Amino acid sequence: MTFAGTERRRQLVTAGIGTALALLMGTVLIMGFRLATHMRADIVSLQTASSLQAYPEQIAGQLNALRDRLEVRAYAGQSLADLQDTVGRFDHDLKRLQAGNPDLPQLAQPLRLWRQYSPVLEPVISFSGQPYVDSDTGSTLSREGREHYAAVKQAQRFAAENAHALRQQLTVLAASLQRAASNAAASLRALLAAGVLAAVVLAAVAAWFQFTRGRHERAAREAQEQTRDILRTVREGFFLLDADYRIGSVWSEALTRMFNRKDFSGLSFEELLKDLVPPATLATAAKYIKLLWGDRAHENLMKTINPLGQLEITANDGHGGKETRYLQFDFHRVTGAEGVRHVLCAVGDITSSVLLARELQDSQESANSQLDMMLGMLHLDPLQLMSFLDTSETGLKLVNAIMKEPARSDAEFRRKLAGMMRELHSIKGEASILNLRSIASRVHVLEDMLAECRKKPELTGNDFLPMVLKLDELLAHLRGVREMGTRLTSLRETAPSTAGAPAGSAAAQPAAAASGGVTPQRRAEDLAPALKGMAERLAADHAKQFSLSVSGLADVPAPYAATIKDCLIQMLRNAAVHGIETPDVRRAHTKNAAGSVRVDFRRAADGFELLFEDDGAGIKPETLRSAAVLRQLITAEEAAAMDTRTSMALIFRPGFSTRDEVSMDAGRGVGMDVVARSVYAIGGKIGVSTHPGKFTRFRIVLPPIEGAQSTAVA
Amino acid sequence: MNARRAFKLMIVDDSNIMRRRIERSQQFEDLQVVGTAGNGVEALALFSQADPDVVTMDLTMPQMDGIECIGRLVALKPAVRILVISALADKATAVEAMERGANGFLNKPFTDRQLNEAIADLMRRA
Amino acid sequence: MLYEQELKTFVEGTTNFFEVAAQQPATLGSPYLLEGTPAVHEYTGVITISGKREGVVYFTAPKAMLTVLLMKMQENDFSHETMRDLVGEVANTISGNARRDFGRDFVISVPSVLSGEKPDVPHKPGQRSFIIPINWRSHSAKLVVSLS
Repeated sequence: MTFAGTERRRQLVTAGIGTALALLMGTVLIMGFRLATHMRADIVSLQTASSLQAYPEQIAGQLNALRDRLEVRAYAGQSLADLQDTVGRFDHDLKRLQAGNPDLPQLAQPLRLWRQYSPVLEPVISFSGQPYVDSDTGSTLSREGREHYAAVKQAQRFAAENAHALRQQLTVLAASLQRAASNAAASLRALLAAGVLAAVVLAAVAAWFQFTRGRHERAAREAQEQTRDILRTVREGFFLLDADYRIGSVWSEALTRMFNRKDFSGLSFEELLKDLVPPATLATAAKYIKLLWGDRAHENLMKTINPLGQLEITANDGHGGKETRYLQFDFHRVTGAEGVRHVLCAVGDITSSVLLARELQDSQESANSQLDMMLGMLHLDPLQLMSFLDTSETGLKLVNAIMKEPARSDAEFRRKLAGMMRELHSIKGEASILNLRSIASRVHVLEDMLAECRKKPELTGNDFLPMVLKLDELLAHLRGVREMGTRLTSLRETAPSTAGAPAGSAAAQPAAAASGGVTPQRRAEDLAPALKGMAERLAADHAKQFSLSVSGLADVPAPYAATIKDCLIQMLRNAAVHGIETPDVRRAHTKNAAGSVRVDFRRAADGFELLFEDDGAGIKPETLRSAAVLRQLITAEEAAAMDTRTSMALIFRPGFSTRDEVSMDAGRGVGMDVVARSVYAIGGKIGVSTHPGKFTRFRIVLPPIEGAQSTAVA
Repeated sequence: MNARRAFKLMIVDDSNIMRRRIERSQQFEDLQVVGTAGNGVEALALFSQADPDVVTMDLTMPQMDGIECIGRLVALKPAVRILVISALADKATAVEAMERGANGFLNKPFTDRQLNEAIADLMRRA
Repeated sequence: MLYEQELKTFVEGTTNFFEVAAQQPATLGSPYLLEGTPAVHEYTGVITISGKREGVVYFTAPKAMLTVLLMKMQENDFSHETMRDLVGEVANTISGNARRDFGRDFVISVPSVLSGEKPDVPHKPGQRSFIIPINWRSHSAKLVVSLS
């Protein structure tokens, strides 16, 4: 539209310049012609006027001659004829001059004077008789000759008196004619010069216009090319819809990819979507497009109800298959004086972002593949697995119970965190010792959420929403693991050779496996190989070397099995991470490069005793105190007042840890406090003794078994 | 706006609370509530007699829903302006309501300000 | 497995009602899981969902809370019917939000209202529910999301 307008203006300007040039040339030529005609007349007049100057003297002379002739009675006919001729010519020329220049003021005087000549000359030149009478004495003047002579004498006198004046006047006349002629010449020159100048100006204008026009055309061409380039390369689909809901002649190339179609001109919006979306969606889209043309609703409302913000389309993928893509349509009304003229439609392909969002969701569900889970479980004794699932579920239910306590204030929410963390930490420890990575990593995610919560300045129920979801997922996952475990168990029953289960042969216990979901009998000596495996993993993970010796675990009574297991897992982890030094450090302290960890369970006088000892770096009381101050468990003043014994007890406080980094194995500050809490829960006691640089020894004392206590944990 | 004649408003909503809320919250001196109805059938019965200029219309109602009612009211009086006030926030419903002849769409829950702006917009168009 | 966004949509639908209708925002209490049939208050607005997910979502509130809510809404009718209307509107808002966010995957019912001492809330056996306490002023209601 803009291009067309500019083009029309250009054509008008070109035509204007042409017309102006023609008019100018015509004017110059006509005026020049007229001026030239004038000048020719002027020049003729000037010649006439110049020739006239001689006449007064000539007339006077001829009159003289005529008088002389008459006085000597000579033949006067020729003289009279000459005079007649001269007067006639003068009169004729003067009249012609007058006719040619009627308004010339300088002509008036000679004319007036000439008119005074007429009455004097008239009798002379009109004479036609015989002036002489021949007699014997010679010729004498006849009567008419005497009259003639008198007239001649009078005329001669008049002519002699006025010849000079008349000549003078004619000279003035000639001079003025001369001036007029040269003025006309100057005018003609000026006209021609002006004409040339105007023509040059017009030619220059035409040239300049042609130049700018070329430039505009180039610019327009460039603009068109740019538009074409934009439309070809832009990733959005653009097109205009007209009042018949049809696509205009200009659209961006991206549309061809989006809709798998080459031509869109004249296509209606419905036709565009017809085969790609369900009929209901198509109907809604058509209604919406129609509404865009009305003025029923303003732009903002129309935008908010746009039903094509995320349109799912199913189209051929170009290889014979179908593919689903997501398109985002934006509509903008293009309004003119008459209301909506077009609707500009912008289409974006948002498939990748939609799919990415979906994948993110899906990946949460399959964070760990089932295969991974199964491989982990193949190594396990089914009883051990069921036992783990029982305690884990109990632990998660405890977490849920903590969440269930009503909370409104930040303090109330914050109070929950430590308890939840303790439970989760314990579950994660056991999951990783059993190599159930799918569970351990899920618990780890939940622990991370809790750790994030701790950092927040103010906790609300919103912060707990993701956690309750994760807890639900974890419980569902445990249920899935339990189902798979049950299936594996029945598989082992039917195939006792256990060919497909490496390391599983020792765990085949058909009698117990039949119990399935029922809580199996716990046998703590099964823990020894698992502990050894865990020790190896921890040593490798933390670049440590140590040996683990285990004794007496076979004597652990069933009711204590779960607790003992939890404690050993935590203490072994602590020994590997904090206790045992790296080989270099150990050698520098003249110790054996490989450390040793000793676990000893035995019957004691009033119950049972578990000793856990490592020959590592030991624990410095001041390290514990400063860590506790750092964690705001105690104040600096309280720390200063502590003796060694109370300092060492800090390790059993909730939220305590000597490591800041967060890894799967330690450092969340809920290590030994979990141990202590679970020991207290079954009526036991825990103590620690240490010597910096030499050893750390934990001693757990448990009461003798009484019948009532045996079901407390399950 | 004050110089013009009073507009007549009809409120259609199956909830008593909502009807009273709308009646109470609208702040136009030249808007006079001429009737309230709890469903589409009631609204139709009341419409000819009350002859409102502006109608607020719930969508999910017993007996006759708002979408159908909009079409019938517009057929009776094409110049009537209808503001849909509904919790149904999906776009297909909004488009359907507009297509039937509604002029505005307000999502529940709404603030007094949102309500008054929506009604003012309708009165400008009336 | 319920997605976080799904739970958030239901929660926002509920808290939004308080914020907009009563001009005083509600806060979430500590959410938890529940196995078995959840206890309800006097008035309960229920929407049932089918399609990609199956189950119920409901808002249940004690009469005292609804009374204060009505007062904040400048309502002076505190009848049984008005209370039912009110929980119905809350459920309506939750339903509207859900339709906006997952209209393509879910079929969401028109809300129904339950009241009385022991109303019969539909519950699928063995289904674990999310309980989200909704605290408003000194009162507490519950949003229950029970979907599979």
